[in-house]
Formats: sequence, structure tokens, C-alpha cells
Amino acid sequence: MTKAGFVQLLHAEWTKFRTVQAWTVGMVAAALMVVIVALLAGVSGDQSGSPAVPVGPGGEPVTDSFYFVHQPLAGDGSITVSVSALTTSIATGPADLRPGTVPWAKAGLIIKDGTRQGSAYAAIMVTGSHGVRMQDSYVNDTAGPASARWLRLDRSGDAVTGHASTDGTHWTKVGTVHGFASTVEAGVFVTSPPSVEGMGTVPTVATAVFGDLRLQGGRLGGHWAGDQVGPKSSTFAGYPRNTSGSAVESDGGLTVTGAGDIAPAVRGTLGSGGTTREILTGTFAALIAVIVLGTQFITTEYRDDLIHVTLAASPRRSRVLVAKAIVLGGVTFVAGLAGAVIAVPLGERLARANGVYLFPAEPWVQLRVELGTAALLATTAILALAVGAMFRRGAGAVTTVVAAIVLPYLLVAQIPFLPAGVSDWLTRVTPAAAFAVQQTLVPYHQVASVYTPYNDYYPLAPWAGLAVLAGYAVVSLAAAAVVLRRRDA
Amino acid sequence: MRPHRTGGIVVAGLRKRYGTTQALDGMSFTVHPGLVTGFVGPNGAGKSTTMRVILGLDAVDAGTALIDGKPYHGLRHPLSHVGSLLDASAPHPSRSARNHLLWLAHSQGMGAERVDQVIERVGLTSAARRKAGGYSLGMRQRLGIAAALLGDPPTVLLDEPFNGMDPEGIIWMRGFLRSLAAQGRAVLVSSHLMSEMQDTADHLVVVGRGRAIADASVADLIAAASGHRLAVRTTAQRDAMTVLARAGATVATGRDTVTVSGLPAERVVTVLNQGGVPFSEVSAHRATLEDAYLDLTRDAVEYRAEVSR
Amino acid sequence: MRLALHAEWTKTRTVAGPRWLLLGTIAVTVAMSAAVTATCGAARCGGDATKLSLTGAVFGQALVAILGVHVITDEYGSGMIRTTLAAIPNRTTALVAKAVTLTGCVTAAGTVAVLGSLLVGRLTLPGHGYAAMFLVLRATVGSILYLALIALFSLGIATIVRDAATSIGVVLGLLYLVPILATVIGSPFWQRVLEQIAPMSAGLAIQATTDLHSLPISPWAGLGVTAAWATAALTTAGLLLRRRDA
Repeated sequence: MTKAGFVQLLHAEWTKFRTVQAWTVGMVAAALMVVIVALLAGVSGDQSGSPAVPVGPGGEPVTDSFYFVHQPLAGDGSITVSVSALTTSIATGPADLRPGTVPWAKAGLIIKDGTRQGSAYAAIMVTGSHGVRMQDSYVNDTAGPASARWLRLDRSGDAVTGHASTDGTHWTKVGTVHGFASTVEAGVFVTSPPSVEGMGTVPTVATAVFGDLRLQGGRLGGHWAGDQVGPKSSTFAGYPRNTSGSAVESDGGLTVTGAGDIAPAVRGTLGSGGTTREILTGTFAALIAVIVLGTQFITTEYRDDLIHVTLAASPRRSRVLVAKAIVLGGVTFVAGLAGAVIAVPLGERLARANGVYLFPAEPWVQLRVELGTAALLATTAILALAVGAMFRRGAGAVTTVVAAIVLPYLLVAQIPFLPAGVSDWLTRVTPAAAFAVQQTLVPYHQVASVYTPYNDYYPLAPWAGLAVLAGYAVVSLAAAAVVLRRRDA
Repeated sequence: MRPHRTGGIVVAGLRKRYGTTQALDGMSFTVHPGLVTGFVGPNGAGKSTTMRVILGLDAVDAGTALIDGKPYHGLRHPLSHVGSLLDASAPHPSRSARNHLLWLAHSQGMGAERVDQVIERVGLTSAARRKAGGYSLGMRQRLGIAAALLGDPPTVLLDEPFNGMDPEGIIWMRGFLRSLAAQGRAVLVSSHLMSEMQDTADHLVVVGRGRAIADASVADLIAAASGHRLAVRTTAQRDAMTVLARAGATVATGRDTVTVSGLPAERVVTVLNQGGVPFSEVSAHRATLEDAYLDLTRDAVEYRAEVSR
Repeated sequence: MRLALHAEWTKTRTVAGPRWLLLGTIAVTVAMSAAVTATCGAARCGGDATKLSLTGAVFGQALVAILGVHVITDEYGSGMIRTTLAAIPNRTTALVAKAVTLTGCVTAAGTVAVLGSLLVGRLTLPGHGYAAMFLVLRATVGSILYLALIALFSLGIATIVRDAATSIGVVLGLLYLVPILATVIGSPFWQRVLEQIAPMSAGLAIQATTDLHSLPISPWAGLGVTAAWATAALTTAGLLLRRRDA
């Protein structure tokens, strides 16, 4: 067949599609469902009155809660300390606190633009099991010498440089951070994030023993003051029951107890935060609609014996299938994109108006989600078309595709206790992997949390997830072409 | 064979509208026992709708359709009153003919023996246990006929039974319909194949635009269509037409004949002889059923193919 | 009615489709229950071993729905519906006969599927988390009834819609979508209301044997909601079937 012949075939299939009123209506309905659910999600949220989510210098939501022994530092200066012990305890039961390792428990030095949550900082610390780290701006994390127990922060102009040492005399530079005001708060801190237990987290608390605490340079004549940064209530600050933050001086040493974290917020620590993917939950309703349409695009031809006419008009059967797939995919993509492009800003605006905090997403991430949603719908429609061509029966084909893409999602999204291995597998190898294209959250290695699809973290990269679905569609289409060629029409 | 109840269908004043289309517009006719009644008319004239109304499948806005004096819904075992073959009612493709008839028999309280009887009657025995999906159109028609005969009904209603039949099947079907009538059954057969009706039907109901436009015996219809016309076989058609028209006749040309009306045969012969026009034959013009049908439905055709230029 | 039932039963047993779908229902239900109990066996999957063992019904119901849809759409697809209604002019009788036959088949297959799932559950989750006998019995009987109700619901929807693909889309949408959509509803009140009126989340409350007070709706009331959906669908279907031309 010539190129022109294929264009004619496309034109014929397009005419077939647009002249069945129910299909046009169904496609518009699919797009509308995306928008309507976004409206529902936006309107129904009501978080007004809940405390504001702390936001870091980069605009991202953060956890900023720790015990801080500090005093102001004006101009250049240096602060040094030795960490002689870091012990952590995990709340294994409501009233049961047992010693245990908290890998990201932190004890060390911090220079911070005031004690407001979310303000800029630079910190160097000993951790539960990740050695010495230097961290800043909530998201940056640099590894230092693992066995060092001496820590130092030097302030010079707007820069803060971190050093670590095993003996207090030979120092290794770990990193430099820029951009601080002239007067900052400097001191020691202790914090201890919740520990991941199964599919949830339990509170922990850390106690560190500091020695040789020295602050040199621009002192304002203040003295050390102990404060909880973040929520004042111990429970809200993340302490296990019957514990709280404290600092006790003894024999020239300082024993500080603290809980919380200085880190980017993730789904596990900010459960009330909404995501773009949630705004787009209507995608599922649209999916079922396009699965039905995709199936019908071929099965009605078998039911009405139109297939004989179609194949008589263009005897190369795989070409017919490809033409159908292109027309169906194109129409679905356009409808899905229209739905997503309207739904996302609308849903987000409504949700924010109701005080719901939404995890931020860069404009290009938003665009990826919208394009990805359209591609997800289009690819699923093509998969339905291929399965419909193989089955020739509407109900079986629709159920198969729904079971392949919606059921795995239902499992991972509905059952919080589903073992991580299972949900990981389900979102890697089933067509439901494609929902990764809608995710906007990123896991952080320095935050221990439950990064499962249930919490909106997919194991595959966005386009890789979509590629899994595309793989299914292509293989099904090829199989359908073979079946169509071998079988009597 | 057990004696038949009276049988027969009385359709009176059926009206039905689909949106803006008046599908049935006062359809009335009667189907008598012992006769094959042909039900003819152009596509869309209301034949299939009428048959579905008779079978209680479609509702009407007005009018009644009675079988044995009762509406279809009032029949206790409907298939023993009226058997039917509808155009677009295929069996399930993966069910065999025998099983299709079996469930139908069970719905009427009949058993498998009757099923085997009707299968034999329509000559489907060899294929009866194969899946119906693989049947040819003709085999499916035979299966439909078997279903219609299942209850040994006094009234039989068949929508386009000649569709898809090969010449052998058509001959079989014709004899079969005659035999049903000969057994005293009332048989209503819709068709657009006039030639079939001419050889099969005793009586014709011609429909157009949702109503019966003729309800008469086949013989009467042909006689009426023939009128009192004469056919003059001649090589000098122009001369013949000139002299006959001058004598007061209405004339029309055929291939090698001239059709004449308005003059008796003797006068035609005289006029031709006086005018010196050669002719080989003057005979009564005999119309076909096709002619009669075309005459009747000329105004009623809704979907007429455009005349090719 | 007796004759109509006999006819419907003959229809059901003379094609392979229903048989395979019923066997499929059993296989899928038991297999998925086994998969869930096996993966959860070691992990902490909540304390309700009975409910866990019956998870397969969430998947099995999809095949039951196909069966319920095909019972009627096959006839519309081929035009056989006219033969059926010519043989059984009382359309309510025709629909009820279909419903009764379908219920019988699904109940039989459902019983095997549910008992099989429980047995597999007992083997993979031995001896812990099982509630009192009468609660387990309620979950068992309830799950069987649930599958039958889903079949009837599907039959009703399919009779209304008359197209297989669209019907199954509507049925699966109502079953599986509502729980997903409920997660985005920010208001806990409306979220709960959705779970109370959705055919699947309400109906499957019958499977719970522990933590009954935390359910969105009480077990029997939940199954009642599913029954209400089925009744509403079948009643509408019956009215439309009577009014529409076949």
C-alpha cells in the first residue's frame, strides 16, 4: 500500500470514529470526568485553620523541628564541639521506649537564620548510622569522614564552612554554604526522625553528650539558651510519649535530648499535603471510559459485521489496526490533554482556597504530568483496541484491560499494609506502572520514610513507567495484528 | 397431524411513529387460514415493523394486532399459536441448532423429541449439532423455519424467508410454504421478490408508507394491472402508433410491441388493416405481478434509487 | 415462569461461555485470595484473617459481572432477544427467569470460590486472627450473597444499556472507581458517605470479622446497600424492557 493509501485509511477510520455520536460523547465525557473529579477534590478539601506548613528557602515543604542550644552570632566567628555519645530510643509501643538505632538521628552544630521554622541553615552533625554529614537548605546533604567526632562551623561573611575531625586537631573540610544574614543563631542541636516500622512510622528520641563547646568571634555577650524549634508541644514535635526536649550541663559537658528532623517534608511526614496526582484522580474514570471506547472501536465492527466491509476496503489487516490505533490514540490524547490542562490548575486553585497544602511542582513537572496523563489515556485506549481485536467480545476485553491497569492500582492505593515488595512489583511490571507519570513527589535518601506507591512514590521514573504500559500496548497490538491476519474475519 | 385451531391474523389500524417518521399509518389487513399471504412493499414501508408488532415485540401508538382473536401477550404458549422467522434474529453463534431449538422448546413446555422432528422437517439433521456461528445464511434460515414450526402453530409468520437461499433452497421454500397453507395454516410471508410471490402466494397485501395499499388475491391484482390492454406485435411501430392514436386509442411502445388501450381487439385489427400497417399478432396484454406491484407502489416508494443518467 | 426458567437454564448450559466464566470466577477468587494471604502471611496485614482470606472476591466479582452482562447483551448483540421475547411475551417473566438462573449459577460457583478461599486462608494463615465462628459464617455467606448481587446488578445495568462493553464499563466503574475517588474527597464526612453508598465498599463490609466499629457501615446494612443497587438496576431494567421495542 502506498503512503497515500495509508492516509486514506486514516481518514476513513477518523470518519468512522467521529460519525458515531456515542463515541464523541464518550470521549468528551472522559475529559469531563478528569475535570469534575478535580473540582470535587478541590471543593471537598477543608484544611483552613490548620497550621501553616513550614516552607524552606527553595519553596519546598520542610520538617524543621529539633532541640536547639544556641546564642546569637554577629559577623564572622567559629563554633566547635565534640560529640562523645549519641544514643537513640524507639517507641515500640504506646508506653514502651526501647534503645534502638535511628539511622538519621542527628546531633551536631547548626548556624541558622533565626529560630523560625523553614529558615536557612548550615549544619554539621554526627548521625545514627550515616557517619558525619553536612547539610543545608533542608535538601542538600554531604558526607564527611565517617568516624569523626569533632565538628566545627566557620562563619566568614555570608559563607559557612563545615569541618570534621577525629582528634580535634586535624580537620577535614566537608563543605561550604553561602547566603546568611549578618546575625545568626549558632549552637548545638539534637533531633531524631520517626523510625520506619513496617508500613508506618513510630516516634523516636535521641540524646547526645557534647563536650568542648566553644564559640569564637562575634559574640554578642549572650549565653546558651535551650529551645525547641518547631511545635512547642512534645507530641506535635514528634517526641515519644513521656519524653521531651532538654539540655543539661554537667562536668563541662552538655547532654541534649531532642526529636524531630531538619529535612524536606515527604508524604510520610506531611500526610495532609495534596499532590497533582490526587487532583487528577478523575483519570481513573476517564480510563474506564476510554477502555470502553477503545474496545468498541473494533468489537462493534465484529458485532455488526462491518469488519468485512472494512477489510474488503483495505485488505492489509495490520494496516487497518495501525490506522485505528493512530486515530483512537490521537483523539484520546487530545481529549485527555484538554481534561488535564483544565483540571490541574482548577483543582489546585480550589484546593488552596480551602486551605489544603499542595506539594509544589515545577511548571515543567506539571506539564509532564498533564502530557503524561493524556499519553496514559491514549496508550490505554490503544491497549483496549488491541485486546478488543483479539477477543472480539466487548465485555471480556474491557474487563481484561480494567483488571490489568486499574486493579493493580486499586491494590497498591487501597491496602496500606500491602508488603512493599508486592506493591513495588505491581507498579513495575503491570500496566499500572504508568501512573508513575503522574507523580510529583521525590524521595530523599536522607529522609527515612515509607516510599511506596500507597504514599505516591512509584518505583519507576515517570516516562519509564509510561513505557511499561506502552510496551504492553505495542505487544498487544502486534499480537492482535497476527491474530487478525491468521483468523477468518 | 392434530387438527388445527382456526389460525389467522387480524391487523387493524396500526399506527406507530419513530421520532418524525410515521412508520405505521393505519396498517390494516387480515391473514386467512389455508392461504399464503404475501406481504410486499418497498423497504421502509413498514413490513418488518408490522411483523414485530404482531409478535408483541414493538408497541404501537394505536390499533390492534390479534392472533386467534387475542393479542400476542394474551397467548399462553405463544409458539403453539404463531411461529415466526424474523429477519435479524440470529441464534447465539456458539450454540448448536439443536440446543437453540431445545431452549425454545423448553420455554413452551415441549421436549427434545419435537426438536428432532422439526430439525428433520427442515432438513438440518446433519448440521444440527454444529455451532450456529458457522452456518451459511441459508442454513440459518432453515433453523429459523424450524423454530417457527416448533409449536406446530396454525399461524406462521416469516420475514424475508427467501433471503440467502440458493435456487434449490428457494424451490424447497416455495413448496414448503404451499404445504403449510395446504395443511390449513395461515401463512404470512414478507418479501420483495415479486417473482417468488407470484408463484407462491394466494393473496397479497401490498404496503406503502405504513399502510396497506392493496389487499387482494394475486389473480385479481394481475388482472387489474393488465387492464384491458392489448399487445400488437409489429415491425412498423411508428406507423401502428400513428393510426391507432388517430382512431382514439392510447398507445405506448414496448421492445417490439405496441401496447394499446381504449379500443376493442376487433377495432384494432380493422384500423391496422385499413392503415396498411403490417403486424404479426394482436393479443391481450398480461401483466406480471412485478408490473402490478410497481403500479401500486410508484407513489409509495420512499427510497427510490436515482435514475442513472 | 417454570417454563421460562427451564428455557433459561437450557440456554445457560448449552454454551461454553457461562461455564468458563463460572470456573474462572472460582479460579480467580481462590488464586487471588491465596496470593494475598501468602504475601501477607509473614507481614503484618491487619488482624482480620477471615477478611484477608476472602480478598479474592474483589477480583472474582469482575468475572461474575461479565457473566451478568453477557446473559442479556449476547441476545441483544445477535438479535436473539426477539426470539426470546416472542417465546416468552411477558417480559417481566423473561427477565426474572434470567435473574433467577443467573443467581443460581453464581451462588453455586460463589460457594465453591468462597469456601476455597477460606480453606486456602486457613492453610496459609494458620490459627491466628480468626474471629468467632458465627462471624466467620456471616462473612462466608455474605461473600456468596455479595457475588450473586453483583451478578444481578450487572444484569440490570446490561439490560438498561444493551451493549456489553459499555455495560461492563459502567459496572466496573461503579465497583472499583468509588473507592479510588473517595480517597481524594478531603472531607472525612463525605468520604464516609461515599463508602457507605458505593456498591463494593459497602457490600464488602460483610467480610469483616474484627474491628467492626471502625467500618463505614455495619455488615448487613452494607450488603443491603449492594442489594439496593441490584434491585434498583433490575427494576429500572424491567420497566425499560416492558416499555421499549425489542
